[in-house]
Order: sequence, then structure tokens, then C-alpha cells
Amino acid sequence: MHKVEFEQLEETLFHEKLDNGLNVYILPKKGFSKTFATFTTKYGSIDNHFVPQGGTEPIKVPDGIAHFLEHKMFEKEEGDVFQEFSKQGASANAFTSFTRTAYLFSATGEIDKNVKTLLNFVQTPYFTEKTVEKEKGIIAQEITMYDDQPDWRLYFGIIENLYKNHPVKIDIAGTVESIQDITAEHLYTCYNTFYHPSNMVLFVVGNVDPEQMMKLVKEDQAQKTFVEPTEIKRIYPDEPKEVAIKERVLEMSVQKPKVFYGIKPEKLDLIGPDMLKHELAAQLAYELLFGRTSDFYHHAYENDWIDESYSFDYSLENGFGYALIGSDTHKPEILIKEIKHTLQNAVEKWPFGQEDLDRVRRKKIGFFMRALNSPEYIANQFTHYAFNDMNLFDVVPVLEGLEVSDLQNAFALVSHEPQHSVFTIMPTKKDEQ
Amino acid sequence: MFETINIAKGVNVHVNETTQFKTINFSIKFKDKLTKEKASARSILANVLQHSNEVYPSHTALRMVLDDLYGTSLYIDSSKRGNEHVVTLNVETVNDQYLSEKGVLEKVLNLMYIVLFKPNFEHGQFKESIFLREKNAIVQRIESVFDEKTRYAQQRMMELALPNHPASITSNGTIEDVENVTNEQLVAEYKEMVAENEIEIYAVGDVKPEMIASHIREFFHFKDREKAIAVPPLELVKPEQSHVLEYEDMKQGKLHMAFFTPITFRDEKFPVMQLMNGVFGGYAHSKLFVNIREKESMAYYVSSSFASQFGLMFVLAGIDSKLEEKAVKLVLEQLEEVKKGNISDMELDQTKALLTNQLKEALDSARGQIDIYDQYMELMDKFEPEFMINRWKNVTKEDIADVAQQLSLEMTYFLSGKEDERDA
Repeated sequence: MHKVEFEQLEETLFHEKLDNGLNVYILPKKGFSKTFATFTTKYGSIDNHFVPQGGTEPIKVPDGIAHFLEHKMFEKEEGDVFQEFSKQGASANAFTSFTRTAYLFSATGEIDKNVKTLLNFVQTPYFTEKTVEKEKGIIAQEITMYDDQPDWRLYFGIIENLYKNHPVKIDIAGTVESIQDITAEHLYTCYNTFYHPSNMVLFVVGNVDPEQMMKLVKEDQAQKTFVEPTEIKRIYPDEPKEVAIKERVLEMSVQKPKVFYGIKPEKLDLIGPDMLKHELAAQLAYELLFGRTSDFYHHAYENDWIDESYSFDYSLENGFGYALIGSDTHKPEILIKEIKHTLQNAVEKWPFGQEDLDRVRRKKIGFFMRALNSPEYIANQFTHYAFNDMNLFDVVPVLEGLEVSDLQNAFALVSHEPQHSVFTIMPTKKDEQ
Repeated sequence: MFETINIAKGVNVHVNETTQFKTINFSIKFKDKLTKEKASARSILANVLQHSNEVYPSHTALRMVLDDLYGTSLYIDSSKRGNEHVVTLNVETVNDQYLSEKGVLEKVLNLMYIVLFKPNFEHGQFKESIFLREKNAIVQRIESVFDEKTRYAQQRMMELALPNHPASITSNGTIEDVENVTNEQLVAEYKEMVAENEIEIYAVGDVKPEMIASHIREFFHFKDREKAIAVPPLELVKPEQSHVLEYEDMKQGKLHMAFFTPITFRDEKFPVMQLMNGVFGGYAHSKLFVNIREKESMAYYVSSSFASQFGLMFVLAGIDSKLEEKAVKLVLEQLEEVKKGNISDMELDQTKALLTNQLKEALDSARGQIDIYDQYMELMDKFEPEFMINRWKNVTKEDIADVAQQLSLEMTYFLSGKEDERDA
């Protein structure tokens, strides 16, 4: 077991890669009564085209299958896994993102039992045609619920605009139609391909003794048999640099228009330390351009072009990413024009110096320290970073090493007009109903 | 958990000195009576005070100094609990022992003083442009509820079921009342808030209680104030309509049901009612989840919740618009099971285990500690989780059946998708 100490943060992380390939991380948290554990596979909605385990030819699977599989993991021959967690005083849950499926629980007692339940249920698939059919009604209601949420439609609307081929443009849960094609056999194929321990990370954070917890996990895994790990072949289509759709409007039952201005970054093949550096530099550049202290924000807020719903975000994964700026607004055209202006001005003359960098850097370090109070944040973010060969605890040193030119370079990758797109939701015109 | 120091009549400082967190959290809570007018004015006030002040006269200037203080977060929110309206200044700052720079805490305390006592005045009133902009911001916040259909449906039901009752008054007030607030009135409201409201001040982190108390005593100069007389919640009045159907352009139907119970937070049967709600629809092992979601595959979300301040229980479900009747029937069938005491040992034990877990987990965050302590202050001087945990332990199935029998369904509200689809 490796022990890594992060002295300035006063955190100690324990890590071991088990014989079956599973990466186990344990972070003891003093003073906490709860323990939070996530068991995550590097498998999400974008992994819809791949060579199945044991096969030679690539296959395509129905949209929404990773999420469907996540739902079905909870049902076993002997009943629902939620029942077992509840009995052991644990709140269990799961989520599927573009790149990950995570199973998790938090509990303040019976931690050993709960960890075993977590490992057991994720490592014992049980799918039948009957249980798969039954789930379709539930997931259809979940999809319908999201369909009625304007903020979700806005988010997916802009991603569909940005990406022409990449499966990130497919809604994580699929559609009511696409999930009808899912069978138990599909689920087994996906499960066998992506749920091998060598494609997974277990992260336990909280009130635990690291040696004892590692021993428990090792013993549990040693009792189970797995096939030899093989490299997973995922296939992604080529994605052009420019966006798929420049502009699109959707009408919904909302009280005022909603806008997202989206940007597709130019370099999407980054991984590891390069990715971390680029992402943090780009986030700081966006903070300076669009954050609460920016000229843009001041102007837009005082003029009522944006309201409290205003947000901006820069997010990067291997193969896709996006910068988003948006708000509810009575003046969508002006807001879009102002965002374009701000970007254009920064391209022509980079407006920020050392003092600006120092300020947003301090802000970001403070945000990170606050986040470290949350076991949920640590486990989820650490896993996200680990799947991209980065280390969450490198965030502060990398931030400290950034220079103004790094921000400029990161910004240069997202400044070209053909990479920009706009998605707007407009209130339904009542008189046409 | 917290050490309490009284610094003036009606003003208490509560400090939890702990090394559990890497940050120091503060909350200063100003408590007043909840009315539509008060809620409206105080929401504007919260926004105006967090916008800027005399020392940092623009939004940008204030946000820049916060960034420089390692991204110290500072916001003022407006909330309600029972008959009370609460304006809270929330601040979280990094403990400077993790930083190379020292003296951050003093600067943050000083900034909190400035935010509360050095408003951005011009000729004795709030700067007009900021006043107007923030008024508008609150109006837009109230309007935006419409976009989130679950929240909107719940608010509609409450307005229809209990008009003008604290249970339906929102913490932001109403559009009409917000628009009617004048700058002069806001100044009066501000002066009343700092001089007359009861104040609870919380600090959680690696700080000394005496240090925090003496700093606030010395710099904030809070004067004595009369303890507001605790007004018991208004009686729940039977709604005029028991079923309301409304339409919006959407795909999913939103079922909201409101039940009355004589049991509130202050009742000795409060823990029993919490368990009843848990067994019925509070968790993934509950009757509503297992039967309506898992067995019938009718819903993705279906749950119940207990609003203990008012003696209300709600059931919420997202379903196909054509299935309202069936869903209501199934919900009532499950309630009937609870009333009859058809509860398994496992259901009871699971619910006790999860309530216990939830409470202990909430205490693992500084905000959770402050919220729970502040809420239970009314019942006891020093809240300890064991107090609730022990009370849950002794609850039996019969106790749960008894409180379930006292529930009465008072309104069923359904926000349906398009009319033609429903009739199809």
C-alpha cells in the first residue's frame, strides 16, 4: 500500500492497485462521522461503439444503455439492493455521466458491511428480459422529467450544436424510443466489457482505518474470480474543429428566454498533466473574462442583460469539452453580441496582467480548499481526475505555477469564431396554441 | 457542539471550535415575523447589502476584495422557518493555517462588519440605481419559479390550499409587494433589522469562542433588543377546493398532494411522524417508492415529505398525465397500509437507521451543524443527536399507525401536460 502525504493540505492518501487491476484509494478524514464510498467504472454514455469483451468486431449499442445498466445493477434475484443498504443505515445512489458510471453510499455505521455490499452488488450482474422490460417505464418517466426541464434542454441543446459526430451529443439517458431496443443481452455485453476491476476505481473517504479497510477490500476481491484483463477498444468518430450548428432556438413553457453561448475547444486530445494545466489555465482565463469581477459581468448585470441565473463554465474531458456562458435574459440578442465582443476584444488585445492572475488564482485555491471539506467532492473529483491520468491533489501546485502566458495560450484554443455556437430557449407563443 | 455566549439582550454568539474543517464558517441570522410585505422588503435588502457598501461602492470592488481573501464566499440569503423570516449573512473563509498568508480571519470579520453596518447610502437612502436593480432581480427570481415545474406546481398548490398562510408565503415575498417597496421603506426595514431583530451568530472552525465573541462585541456594537414573542403557527384552514387541475405545455404530469396533521415540530409525537413519513415515502425502501416506482413502473420520482413547522405532509410524483387517478388511488392505498399498521420490522428498522444516518451525516458539514442547532434551539438549549436518535428508537408500528390515522388529505393538485394529450 502506497501512502502519499499532501503536507500543506494535511491529507494522507493511501493507494494500492490490486492483482485483478482494481485501483483502491482510501482517504481517512479526522473528525468526520460519515464514510463515503464510490465504486466507479470508466464507462459512460459516450462509450456506445466498442469491441465487446471476448469479441473481435466492433458493435454499436442503443443510446442510453450505460444509464439503463446503472439502474438495473440495483435489482437482484433476491430483491432490491437499496433494501440492504437501508437495513445497514446507508444512503445509496448512483449516477451516469458522459464518461463514468458511479455507484456510491454514505453511512455513519456498519462501514465494513456497506463496502462489501457495494462491491458485491456491482460485481454480480443479474439481468432478465422481464426486469429489463419493467425498467423501461421508470426510465421513460425520468427522460420525460428531464425533457420538461428547460435548463437541461438548454445544456444539451448547446452540446448538440457544438458536436457533429461525437457521442457526447447524445442525451445520457437516451430517448424514450432508443431505450425500447435495450435487451438483457446488451446489458451483459456492456457489463462484461466495461465492469472489469481493471477499468474501475474504488474510493473510500471518511471515518476509516486505511490498513483495515484495504485488507477488507483485498480479501473480498481475492475471493472473486475475473477473466484476465484485456485492453478495451473504444471507437470514436472524427470530429471536425468547427461546430455542427451555429444557432438554434427551441420553444418551451418558460417565462423568459434562456441563452447558452458555447465554445468547442480546439485541442481535445490532452491527457494527464497537460490536460490539468490547460483546464485550470482556461478556467482562470474565463474567470477573468466572465467572472463576477469582470467588466463584462458588471456591464451585463447593471444593464439587466443577465440575472441571478447567470453562469459560465469550462470543462474538459479526453475527446470533448466546452466553454459555456449563459443566463436567463430578456435581451438574448444583446447578450450574445456582448459575449462575442468580450471574446473578440480579448483576442485582439489580451487585457490581463500579473495582478489579475494572482487574484483569480487565490480565489480558485480558496474554492478548492472549501471543496476539500466535502467527502463527496473528493471522491467524485479524484475519480474523474484519475480516469484522465491526473491527480486531484496537484491542483494547488499547478495553480501556483501558472503564468499569464499560460492563460493566454489556453484562451487562444477557444477563441476562434467557427468554434462558437448559440442555443436559445424562447417562451412558447401562447396565441399559437 | 456549540458554546453559547450572550453578547447583548437578544444577541447570541454560538461557536463550535473544531479542526474538522479546512475553513471557518460564519452565519449571522436576523429573525423577524414572516409576512408577505416583510419577506418582499427583506429579500431586496439582502441583495442590496451583498451588492456593495460604503467602503467597496461597486459590486466589482466588493467581489475583488473577496477574491483576494482567497475566494472567501459571502452571500446574504432570505429564508423562512415557520412564522419567522430569516435574513442570513453567510461567510466561509479558508483557515489561514493552510495558507502562506496570515491575518485573513481579522480581515474577513472586518468585512462582515462593513457589509452589515456601512451600507451604500446616498443622501440617507440606498443608492437608487442599485436599489432599483436589486428590486428587479428579486422580481425575476420570483418569476423564474415558473420554469421549474415541480417547484411551480408545489407553489401553486400551496397558494390555493393555504392562501396568506405562512406555509404558502415564500421567503422572497410576492412580485406585487416587491414592486411596491420604496427606498425609504427599505431603509426603515434595514434599521429595524440591525437594531431590533433577534440575532443568532454562528461560527464553526478552528477558532476560539472568546475571541469571536469579544471581536463581535467590540466591533459590531449590537444593542440590546426585546425578544420577540414567539407566535404559535396559525391554524391550518381547510382549503375551499380539494382538487385542482391545471395545464401547462409540458410532457410529464406533476401530482402534488397535501395532507394535514395535528403533529408539528413542537409536538412530542414529532419523531413518530418523522418515522411515519419515512416508512410511507421518505426513502428508496419506502412504500411509495417500492410500489409505485418499482412494482408499477409508473414514476421515476415519488416521495413524501413532512413540513414539521406547519403540520403538513406532501406527496409528489412525476407521472404520465393520463394516470392521475390511478396514481392517487395507489398513494392512498399505501397510506391505508400504514394506517392499518401493516409495517414490517424491516421497514421500521430501515427507516430508523436512515433517519439516524441522515442526522449524523448532516452534522459532518459546518452548514449542517448551524442549521440543525438553530432549528432545535427552540426545543432545547444544547442539541445532541442522541436526543433524537433515542426517541426514534422507542417508536413502535402502533405509534406510527396512530399518527397516520390523524392525517387528512386536503388537496390534490395536478399540473398536467397538454389538454388534448390527457384526453387521448
